[in-house]
Amino acid sequence: MPIEVKNLVHVYMPGTPFEAHALKGVSLAVRDGEFVGIIGHTGSGKSTLISHLNGLEKSEPGAVFVNGMDLGDKGADLIAVRRAVGLVFQYPEYQLFEETVAKDVAFGPSNLKLPAEEIERRVSEAILRVGLDPSVSDKSPFELSGGQKRRVAIAGVLAMQPSILILDEPAAGLDPAGRREMLSLIRNIHDSGTTVVMVSHSMDDVGRCCDRLFVLNRGEIAFSGTPAEVFLHDEALHGMGLDVPECAKLANRLRREGFDIPEGLFREEEVCAAILNHLGKGGKQPC
Amino acid sequence: MLKGVTIGQFFPGDSLIHRLDPRTKLLATIALIAIVFVSQGFAGFLLIAAFVLACCASTGIHLKFLFRGLKPILFIVLFTFALNLFFQSGTTVLLQLGPVKITAEGLRMASFMAVRLILLVVSSQLLTLTTSPIALTDGLESLFRPLEVVKFPAHEIAMMMSIALRFIPTLMDEADKIMKAQKARGADFETGNLLQRAKAMVPLLVPLFVGAFRRAEELALAMDARCYRGGAGRTRMHQLRFKGIDALAALAVLALLAAVIALNAFHVW
Ligand SMILES: Nc1ncnc2c1ncn2[C@@H]1O[C@H](COP(=O)(O)OP(=O)(O)OP(=O)(O)O)[C@@H](O)[C@H]1O
Ligand SMILES: [Mg+2]
Repeated sequence: MPIEVKNLVHVYMPGTPFEAHALKGVSLAVRDGEFVGIIGHTGSGKSTLISHLNGLEKSEPGAVFVNGMDLGDKGADLIAVRRAVGLVFQYPEYQLFEETVAKDVAFGPSNLKLPAEEIERRVSEAILRVGLDPSVSDKSPFELSGGQKRRVAIAGVLAMQPSILILDEPAAGLDPAGRREMLSLIRNIHDSGTTVVMVSHSMDDVGRCCDRLFVLNRGEIAFSGTPAEVFLHDEALHGMGLDVPECAKLANRLRREGFDIPEGLFREEEVCAAILNHLGKGGKQPC
Repeated sequence: MLKGVTIGQFFPGDSLIHRLDPRTKLLATIALIAIVFVSQGFAGFLLIAAFVLACCASTGIHLKFLFRGLKPILFIVLFTFALNLFFQSGTTVLLQLGPVKITAEGLRMASFMAVRLILLVVSSQLLTLTTSPIALTDGLESLFRPLEVVKFPAHEIAMMMSIALRFIPTLMDEADKIMKAQKARGADFETGNLLQRAKAMVPLLVPLFVGAFRRAEELALAMDARCYRGGAGRTRMHQLRFKGIDALAALAVLALLAAVIALNAFHVW
């Protein structure tokens, strides 16, 4: 089990009037090779949860395990954990600092004390992998566009070759085209054998990419399961300030109105086919 | 790591002291500091301490926050104490170890200085705990307004201060985030010698400064867009007005001053 979280609690600034209970007993497990989505409204504790997953926040012993290592343990080898778990923060473009893109991407691998040739190889590979032109390597990261900067930041994490990649809102603030590209980039990374955990606000995004979802509400897991299972709870999700994809909403609504639509459909094509099927016209016509 | 800083840490509340006019609180704090210097004995200090603690208790803020501001100056306090203890000349020798001797006068002076320093910090802490930074700069602006006749830029300074104060928490948050992001990439801020640590700060400081400049530019644009053009002719939403409780506070501080002077006059230790 690459990641296992058991009853994790996190309180910010305990003992002050600003005390905030960000996580109130969260348990979840991520299996090898999975693409897991974490969704929740603003302030539900998503970012707090993922910073526990590579030991950036302190946890109680026995609460967070990465590849069997207990991160709450005093002697936990955090370098090994950070090598295994790559964490891409919300708006990672604001963490760039080096003179050139290549040097910035090399920051992680050089902290791992790798030999110079290995670093160079990983850097050029990571830059290609995030879909950047190799010619940007020698540019200053501050000259790039926002979307390009974000790719550089992701390349900086990929260059550490983590077996688990965690991304916090990787598509936030991008235009629809940038969003699609970002998601397909992440899917490619997943397809090449990396376990991926993606935090998102957008049900459409996680519905399209993820094998399994965890819905976080006020620091607790409200629902978990495959996207199809989670999207059945459209009304409860609405109450948590979340929305299910339009097609899932339509399918659920029609089913409640007595239409014969099977449970668990949320992709446009599937819902279309089911409606046409119900209307007795077969699934052939375009909609 | 950055969470321990309490400079300007304001605790919202609705106590009598919270509701005082910021100008009253500023002047009272200056008066309190003066009173600490006026006092020549421990009885005076005891009285001042009682006054400050009572004020703090009345605000509902836990006393420990009053003393949290002492952490950064603890070293100075200890240093002053040691210096006075060993180098104050006196006649009543309490302890002699070779050339080093501790005298009763030295001990008294050392404790006196240490207590004075602690009281100075603690009493100014009360101001920042109970006054929001915005109210504080409003108060300062209004106190310095008369100096505008000699071209003292009271409004501009107050505006700069309130912007700076407003952005301290934001920048600290940002520093925290960047630090986490770099740690996730294997950065190490905690070990190594001085030079290595200074170098380790580069990945933190560069993005922090870039962010600060970006924010400053955005803010300037936003202010321009809303027709900000300095203090001349600007009216304000919250007018500062002295009320009954302000007179009461002034009386209390004056009473404290009188009591301390009386204690001095009667040479109570
Ligand atoms: N550094 C901090 N100090 C104090 N409280 C914090 C801090 N960071 C987060 N919180 C609080 O913890 C809670 C969870 O925050 P978190 O950042 O994990 O939410 P999130 O789900 O990532 O939200 P978003 O979607 O806006 O990124 C919030 O109520 C927030 O106010
Ligand atoms: Mg977040």
